[in-house]
Amino acid sequence: MSEFPQAVENYLSQALRDRAHPLLLSFDAQWQLTEVSGAAGYHGLEQGGPAELVQQLQDLFLGLPLDQTQDLPFVELSDGRHAHVHLVPDANDTFHLLLLDASEEHERTQSQQQLGNQAVLAGLEKSRTLARLRQIKSELEQQRARLEEANALKNALFATLSHEFRTPLTSIFGYLHLLERGGGEGGRAQALQALRRNASHLFALAENLLEYGRSEAGETLLDAAELPLATLVDDLDAMFRPLAAEKGLALVIEAGEAPPATALFDQIKIRQVAINLLSNALRYTPKGYVRGQLGWDGALLRLEVSDTGLGIDAASRARVFKAFNRGAQHGGRGAGLGLSIVKRLVERMGGEIELDSAPGLGSTFRIALPALGATGLPALPQEQRRRGLDALIVDDDPDVAALLEVLLGDLGATTRVASTAAAALAEVGQRAPDLVLVDVELPGLSGNAAVFQLRSQGYKGGIVTVSANATEEARRAALAAGADHYLTKPLDFAQFARVVQSLGERAAPP
Amino acid sequence: MTELARKICMLGDFGVGKTSLVARFVRNTFSEKYLTTVGVKVDSRVVDLAGGDRMKFVVWDIAGKAVLDSLNQNYLRGASGLILVADGTREASLRAALNLLMQARDVLDNPACVLFVNKLDLVERWEVAPETLAEMRHSLPVFETSALSGDGVEAGFGELATRLHA
Ligand SMILES: Nc1nc2c(ncn2[C@@H]2O[C@H](COP(=O)(O)OP(=O)(O)O)[C@@H](O)[C@H]2O)c(=O)[nH]1
Ligand SMILES: [Mg+2]
Repeated sequence: MSEFPQAVENYLSQALRDRAHPLLLSFDAQWQLTEVSGAAGYHGLEQGGPAELVQQLQDLFLGLPLDQTQDLPFVELSDGRHAHVHLVPDANDTFHLLLLDASEEHERTQSQQQLGNQAVLAGLEKSRTLARLRQIKSELEQQRARLEEANALKNALFATLSHEFRTPLTSIFGYLHLLERGGGEGGRAQALQALRRNASHLFALAENLLEYGRSEAGETLLDAAELPLATLVDDLDAMFRPLAAEKGLALVIEAGEAPPATALFDQIKIRQVAINLLSNALRYTPKGYVRGQLGWDGALLRLEVSDTGLGIDAASRARVFKAFNRGAQHGGRGAGLGLSIVKRLVERMGGEIELDSAPGLGSTFRIALPALGATGLPALPQEQRRRGLDALIVDDDPDVAALLEVLLGDLGATTRVASTAAAALAEVGQRAPDLVLVDVELPGLSGNAAVFQLRSQGYKGGIVTVSANATEEARRAALAAGADHYLTKPLDFAQFARVVQSLGERAAPP
Repeated sequence: MTELARKICMLGDFGVGKTSLVARFVRNTFSEKYLTTVGVKVDSRVVDLAGGDRMKFVVWDIAGKAVLDSLNQNYLRGASGLILVADGTREASLRAALNLLMQARDVLDNPACVLFVNKLDLVERWEVAPETLAEMRHSLPVFETSALSGDGVEAGFGELATRLHA
């Protein structure tokens, strides 16, 4: 490269110096500053002295060789200004640091890159917002479809119910008319029997309707008490014997062993289940027998109702438990409320229902119910109780935490409480529980953050997230963070018990 | 009592929170405002180690990039530790962090590494799944952090200090 004419060289050198305000710091091999030259004033070295700058530069070159030329562009100095920092090695392990001011250049580059980066981030945010809007739209559509479906069900329910109520009422008025006209002793007895049968049927229908309404209003706790098994069986027998006799069916209702006094049940609900199963069986059995058995098997209360009736084919079997499905209508099984209510009641009591059936041969419904705890929650199965399900409650409200402790205790679980996400992580780190119950609204990091961290640290137990936020988005976020279930406040205790039980079963060793 | 000094580099895509994490660690501050980093800012903080030793962290906060260009390669020289930073709300930033780690390993000889997955306070909007991080823990220490709340920051730097001290 040929040299420029001297005048140009001078000019160039001056122009570059004017722009870069070079500052030179010279050091010995031990980082002792030996000389400062150049634009010390411009770099603010006159007030503060170079100590802070020297310390910063020493940090900057930590781990870097001091005997090689180095160029570190755009270094932010402690006063907020920027410089290109060059290291120039010299004889005897001494070296110089040359600082060229880059504040203006930095500002230009910075605002350019800022614009570029912000555009990328805004693009991301935009596509995310669009995706969220699409999601919300599809959820609204699903919700509308559900509402329409519910409305159609309700209309069909009213149509069939008016029919269902009208039939027994018609007979009642008919027989009342006969009684008023007077007649033989035989006719009188028959009329009274018919009145009783139709009245029982109406009673069962009304009970079901009430139960249906209750379910829409949300669930309450069960009513746990000692079960007078023999009395219950006698009542059922008295209720259904006339109907069976009239249809020429054999009816056997057997009382097995009574549960011990410590095993509590909700008598009203068990009665409702039995009434529905027996009246269904009698209604759809043209000939043969109907048989009911209720008894304690040492661990569970078992109710079995079998008949020699029409039977239910495999295809309809799952559907018969659905509330008021159209198929049930076409299949001629009445309003289709009865079995759906049976199933719901059984599940609320923490029990299980099974159906065995062959078309033309008859059906058998088998129900198994665990005893309830004193607060009306189904107790955990024996082996889990023995193991002692270990639950961690994460809630900052001591009243809520105490309530959950009582409920979980009643379910047979032992409990610990943590009031923040961090405390929860520490608790789980000490000893992993079978079950974690997390409130989303915690002080500081949310319950979702705690759940995410538990999962990312490999926690495999059950997690139930509880929140006051009932939106679909909140539910999705909780499940994405790793929760197994999402429950909203106010807590539905029966649902809570079911969820805890299902997770308890998962925690139990096979 | 000895004081060791170590150079640490923050490595990750832009906007993931590298500058904010350093501000939280060094000055215990946080700002919502996003100011793109150009070049490098060097900060330091002395931390106490178990056993009474102290370590001076010299933290290099450099411009965020998804790939390691020659400029950033140059900045990495002399580093003994790396803090890889990803943003939990941007899945792609996690992949970028892992890529950067692989590229950095070509430049540095067996650096101590930790991964910060940042913005834990926004966990409801995270794209990164917990299982993904559970899997990654097999190969390097992972910390969910929030520069905003400070959660995970001390623990993450502490882990790096332990690894550097060993
Ligand atoms: N909510 C939240 N925002 C954060 C967090 N960390 C950083 N930010 C924001 O994210 C943006 C980018 O942060 P910055 O530290 O500049 O990212 P860098 O490019 O990696 O240095 C800024 O607007 C920060 O306020 C965090 O933990 N939580
Ligand atoms: Mg930055």
